[in-house]
Amino acid sequence: MKRVLTVEFVKTRRSTVVLVTTVLTVILVPLLCLGFVAVAKAGGAGAVALKAQAMVVGEGWEAYLGLLAQIVSIAMFIGPGVVAAWAFGREFSDRTFPTLFGLPVSKGSIAAAKFVVLACWGLVLTVLTLGAAVLIGLIAHVGPLAGINVAGWLWRLLVAGFLTSTISLTIGFVASVGRGYLPAFGALILLTMITQIAVLFGTGAWFPYAAPGLFALQGAEGIADVNAFQLLLVPVWTLFVSWLTVRWWNHAEVT
Amino acid sequence: MAEPLEARNLVRFYGDERAVDGIDLQVQAGEIHAIVGLNGAGKTTLMRLLLGMVAPTSGLALIGGVDARAAGPDVWKRVGSLIETPFAYPELTVTENLEASALLHGVNNVNEEVARVIGDFGLEHWADRRARALSLGNRQRLGLAAAMLHRPSILVLDEPANALDPAGVVFIRDLMRSAVEHNAAVMVSSHHLDQLARVADRITVLHRGTTIGTLDPRGSDLEQQFFDLVYQDDRERGLA
Repeated sequence: MKRVLTVEFVKTRRSTVVLVTTVLTVILVPLLCLGFVAVAKAGGAGAVALKAQAMVVGEGWEAYLGLLAQIVSIAMFIGPGVVAAWAFGREFSDRTFPTLFGLPVSKGSIAAAKFVVLACWGLVLTVLTLGAAVLIGLIAHVGPLAGINVAGWLWRLLVAGFLTSTISLTIGFVASVGRGYLPAFGALILLTMITQIAVLFGTGAWFPYAAPGLFALQGAEGIADVNAFQLLLVPVWTLFVSWLTVRWWNHAEVT
Repeated sequence: MAEPLEARNLVRFYGDERAVDGIDLQVQAGEIHAIVGLNGAGKTTLMRLLLGMVAPTSGLALIGGVDARAAGPDVWKRVGSLIETPFAYPELTVTENLEASALLHGVNNVNEEVARVIGDFGLEHWADRRARALSLGNRQRLGLAAAMLHRPSILVLDEPANALDPAGVVFIRDLMRSAVEHNAAVMVSSHHLDQLARVADRITVLHRGTTIGTLDPRGSDLEQQFFDLVYQDDRERGLA
């Protein structure tokens, strides 16, 4: 397994898709938060200002971290979802899948290695994004830190960001069965929409794709509580779909 | 003792299409067995079946004496193949691609074997270049190097001379002969009868998914013999 992990790590490290996603997420997420907080603070009645005011709750760091929680739960789904679509779909789109036959390692172990490497990357991406957000917040003097449980916020954001990035890897199943990027991108958009609808209807805590985002905002006004069991459904669903994907890879034929 | 590669009454349908239709064939150790046929004759499907890339509709595809769909790492460690696309990830350099192939094939001395194969296949100049920047011919060379760096004793090559220049074609012939001198079993397909005649020990002709005869590699006018077999088969099927 170590050999397969090494190969998948090198492919990920060399990927332009992974590099661009990492840079964009780490830079854009904190800047978007900062921008929205500034727009909300400035007041006004324009469409963007009204939207920002609806998203930003409280003042200073509380407002900044609350917004970060909302944006991280979307960014950590879209970014790693795109990367998962690429990592699995590229083997079919680039026609490298047939070269993975006739090897002393199973195709399933190659798929499993993709999940492991991308999950590790998801953790690094979450840590980098949160680190950049705190740094940018400090540089921009978002507000006084007194009275703010920053560690508590960051812990919830870390758990939520990591869980969201791992559950987005389930897109790899669609990329595999659909044999390419495009079906996976379609599934990514569809899942994002369904997640929003699940939250709107108040059933988000039971929907594994929405639960981490709600957990990140735990305690905020109008946000449903997410209990440990509901949060546990996220890795359970991720592992189940990963297992399905590995199984599919082991039995897949060349078309 | 089991043959390295063997098809027993092998059948594969794609819908109503009989891509491979009852083929019996063996490739022995120490021989180059060439498969020739027109486009769509079933050459690639036959190779895919023998490499476990597709499951047979019926019959048996055996590699190292084991069902190709159930063969384990001990069998696959001895196999090298190049079917359709070369092992060439565009974002990786030539060296990284070969390292990846060496790791996946279970090679122990990865660095030494990769350095050796880069020299053997004349890839030194492109060693640090990404595969996406290579010409078709050099991608094919890279794919062949990736298929052979672990010194396989069973080699399955589908149109290995694709995109290669004349020097590359001679190089491939020498490679196959060298593998056979080390007792490897080589199965190769090609459209070019003259190339195969210079290197093959046996030539089997495939047509419409079945074996319709053999050609003697030392015989004369192989092209005429080939077309005679094909037209005779079409006549027997009432298609000519």
